[in-house]
Amino acid sequence: MGFYFVDPKTYKKHKDEILELSHAVQVNFQEHLPAEKRHPGFSDQQIAEKLGLEVQVVREIRCVAERDKYPLDEFEEAIRFKEKACRDYSVRGMSAVMEKYVKEAKKGK
Amino acid sequence: MYARLPDRPGGAQTAMTAQIEIDFESAKSELAAITGKRGALVSGVAAADAFDAAPEGYRPVDILPHAKSVFVIGGAQPRAGDWQSPNYQHMEVTSTSDRMQTLALRIARDIEDRFSYYAVCVPPGVDHGQQPFMSISLAADLAGCGSKSLAGPVLHPEYGFMYYAAIITTMPLSADKPLDPPACPAPECVQMYADEETTPCLKVCPVKAGGCLGGRIEDGRFTERQYDSARCATRVQNYWVPGFQKVLSATLQEPDADKQKMMLSSSMFSRTLWSMTYSNVSQGQCAECMRVCPVGREHRTKK
Repeated sequence: MGFYFVDPKTYKKHKDEILELSHAVQVNFQEHLPAEKRHPGFSDQQIAEKLGLEVQVVREIRCVAERDKYPLDEFEEAIRFKEKACRDYSVRGMSAVMEKYVKEAKKGK
Repeated sequence: MYARLPDRPGGAQTAMTAQIEIDFESAKSELAAITGKRGALVSGVAAADAFDAAPEGYRPVDILPHAKSVFVIGGAQPRAGDWQSPNYQHMEVTSTSDRMQTLALRIARDIEDRFSYYAVCVPPGVDHGQQPFMSISLAADLAGCGSKSLAGPVLHPEYGFMYYAAIITTMPLSADKPLDPPACPAPECVQMYADEETTPCLKVCPVKAGGCLGGRIEDGRFTERQYDSARCATRVQNYWVPGFQKVLSATLQEPDADKQKMMLSSSMFSRTLWSMTYSNVSQGQCAECMRVCPVGREHRTKK
């Protein structure tokens, strides 16, 4: 490395693998799961050991890859998503998703 | 047991404390009472050596050597009215964790001044790898202050979503236990999942349809949880560092000066700059999975 960023060739070569191994993609991450089922993702140190890279290189690649995963359009989409979800809730409250079940749970208490 | 640091400077108070036997159960109750009086809704203790699930480098002893306990506090929920606002931007600027962090700093000081043990707050930001210094949600879970949810945030069974802060200390306080049963899934969500194979949070933000969350409920617990943290960042940190980097990168690649001006003065980039100057801590800029969560709903329902 030797500077504060990795060269683009190294980045392109390892980014998918590092992202896949990291916490960025979480499936069965939760601590309450039994050990045989739990997949918490690897730390930068663990990924570095696995791939034979320096931990600083893994860290830089992961940080850039996390940012790279979605384009700027996704940030625009996020605004549309939040606007709609928030407005739906303000108009319909919990019935926007589950009013029936809230009522049933209240009866059961 | 006697308080430590007898040889540290600090005048009469330290010398006096060193000679007083500390009743740690009373001290824990006292700390809980102080935090409650100052605005926390919940508090609890996790043992510092219980963080096996966290990777090395992100455990209490990695921040404070010889740490024995992690004192967790929670509160500063958004107001019930905040959840009702039809403007999604409302929550972005009203909902931050800094109130709990400020309280945690005072508690750390109390522990050092009154009991003469080392105490540090878990910093609220991220380290150079963009990771939290220590998982405060794991601490809250271990301390029984709430439990991790299918959506991600820690939920308190009565109050639902709130903000947490943690103080790591060398003071040997007795540890509390994780909640059993956990706050998530709520009975309503178990019923909904049985009928529709989804829950409110999964329905509003499904990973298979452009959202962040996936998972199943099995035997009353959630499992097979999927979380796309990069997509979540585009929503939670929409107008924040990630959005700033995206627009800046696009602008630097744009050769046309007029277009550059449009990009830099765009509503998105301007809003991002405002957000970054509003607060010195990260703002949660998406709350949609929590807005529809039934846990703590009674506290969010007013006339």
